[in-house]
Amino acid sequence: MKGHLHLTCSLGTNGESYLREQSFRAPLHLSKPHHDAGALVVNIVNPTAGIFDDDEIDLKVTVEADASLVLTTPSSGRVYRSRNGADARVKQELRVETGAFLEFYPEPFIPHAGARYHQRNTIRVAEGGSLIFFEWLSPGRVASGEAFLYDELCWDTDVIFGSKVVARERYTLNPKDESLSGLNATFENAHYLGCFVLGAFPFPHAEIEALGNDSVYLGAGPLIAGGWTIKAICRDSLHARRTLSALRGILYAAMKKEAPSLGRF
Amino acid sequence: MLPDDSRSIGVPPVSGADVSSASDSKASGWKPDLPTGWKPVPHWLPWLLQVNDSQFPSGAYAHSMGLEELTQRGLVKKPEDVEKFLHQQILPSLRAFELPFLAKAHAAAAAADLQALRALDDELDAWKLAAELRNASRQLGSRRLSLIRKLDPAPLLEDYANSEAPCHHLIVCALELRQLPVTAAACAFAQQTVSGYATSAMKLVRMGQEKCQLMIRGAMLALSPHLEAAVTQPPERIGWFNPLLEIASMRHARANERLFIS
Repeated sequence: MKGHLHLTCSLGTNGESYLREQSFRAPLHLSKPHHDAGALVVNIVNPTAGIFDDDEIDLKVTVEADASLVLTTPSSGRVYRSRNGADARVKQELRVETGAFLEFYPEPFIPHAGARYHQRNTIRVAEGGSLIFFEWLSPGRVASGEAFLYDELCWDTDVIFGSKVVARERYTLNPKDESLSGLNATFENAHYLGCFVLGAFPFPHAEIEALGNDSVYLGAGPLIAGGWTIKAICRDSLHARRTLSALRGILYAAMKKEAPSLGRF
Repeated sequence: MLPDDSRSIGVPPVSGADVSSASDSKASGWKPDLPTGWKPVPHWLPWLLQVNDSQFPSGAYAHSMGLEELTQRGLVKKPEDVEKFLHQQILPSLRAFELPFLAKAHAAAAAADLQALRALDDELDAWKLAAELRNASRQLGSRRLSLIRKLDPAPLLEDYANSEAPCHHLIVCALELRQLPVTAAACAFAQQTVSGYATSAMKLVRMGQEKCQLMIRGAMLALSPHLEAAVTQPPERIGWFNPLLEIASMRHARANERLFIS
């Protein structure tokens, strides 16, 4: 299945952000966007159970000057066992223009046993733009005894601030080699949280660092330009969710913004 | 260029020595007076021994590259943990990222392509997400470049030093070892990395110098079968996942008590 979601969010003359352009194709769908705390909140819905080998999904989101968009998912993203040995592929291109703001807050990514998946993230933030980008990688269906039983996950991320690449990550996770040793050396069923924060506001380093404890190994620091990165390894999903939620609150407070409701209970 | 008097020196045969140095000495017209069976060693060997010496003042002794925080967190407590850390986290990272990256930088340095080298140097700024590791790499590289410019006053090094490049350690090593075969350069870089961790571990866990040397030997033996492939057939997509070390470095940067700079 080849699906896509292309969105352009603009600031209307009434001062509210709106979707100037939208195009999507199964397996992706959009919920009805709503406004909260000065931002447009858009839920990306995958009405199918998840994605499979050979599926390709192309996500392109542009937040135009001075607009404000929160992009989230109402449920976890799943990738299923590869039946033919091929990868499921997701390409995400996020662009934030001057004066604009984008928060990307997906629910956890759950790779099932035997899954093969390749995700490419390209995030471009213009000078004067702001971004909070989260990602949450779970070990699998832990409650079903499936932890780190996927076949292979590839993750490629570039963060570009202005014209400069300020963060680059490429990793291949394969439970059969040492590639998970930097993750599960801390906790047996570790959940990984990654975050990039770009924008001109005082970074609440001490508050973020205080989220670390015996069940959350967390660090934060400045990128070469434009912003910061935050990483955490969490004991389980409960600690991951608490950490992510707390991080979100701290970052919005530092930006002197009210955090839009994601509609979670 | 290396000084002329380092072109070749008569010493006993060295396993794996580059026999091309024999033709180099013929080309220069200099005939070493060597006993039968002796070969001149590669012209670059004295240079390599000097710049890869643990006494070479690059400042590496002051960096644990995240290991200090891992010991404070209790994740590395004893020599066996250090070995596990080296074999499961550092060697795979060398194979999957640093050595293939070094091969690209080495090719650029050997071709005196400063523009390509600068692009790779800037790219490393983006790869090194943890600021403390990024700064440590820049400090070590800059300090190393400062000294090798004096030892090898080549225009290439001068031009690079004056270009306001980040001067990451890996890039400076590529410059410094540009006259070596790439596999030898990779071996030297890997040895510096492994011995850096093992040496700093002596100050962090209960282990002596003998254990440290055994650890370095074990790691290099484990790596050596993969060295050639890492630099001559690098994977198209390079990179390594180690949030543990990145977090450790980020936390170390703000620790109240520290023995090491990084």
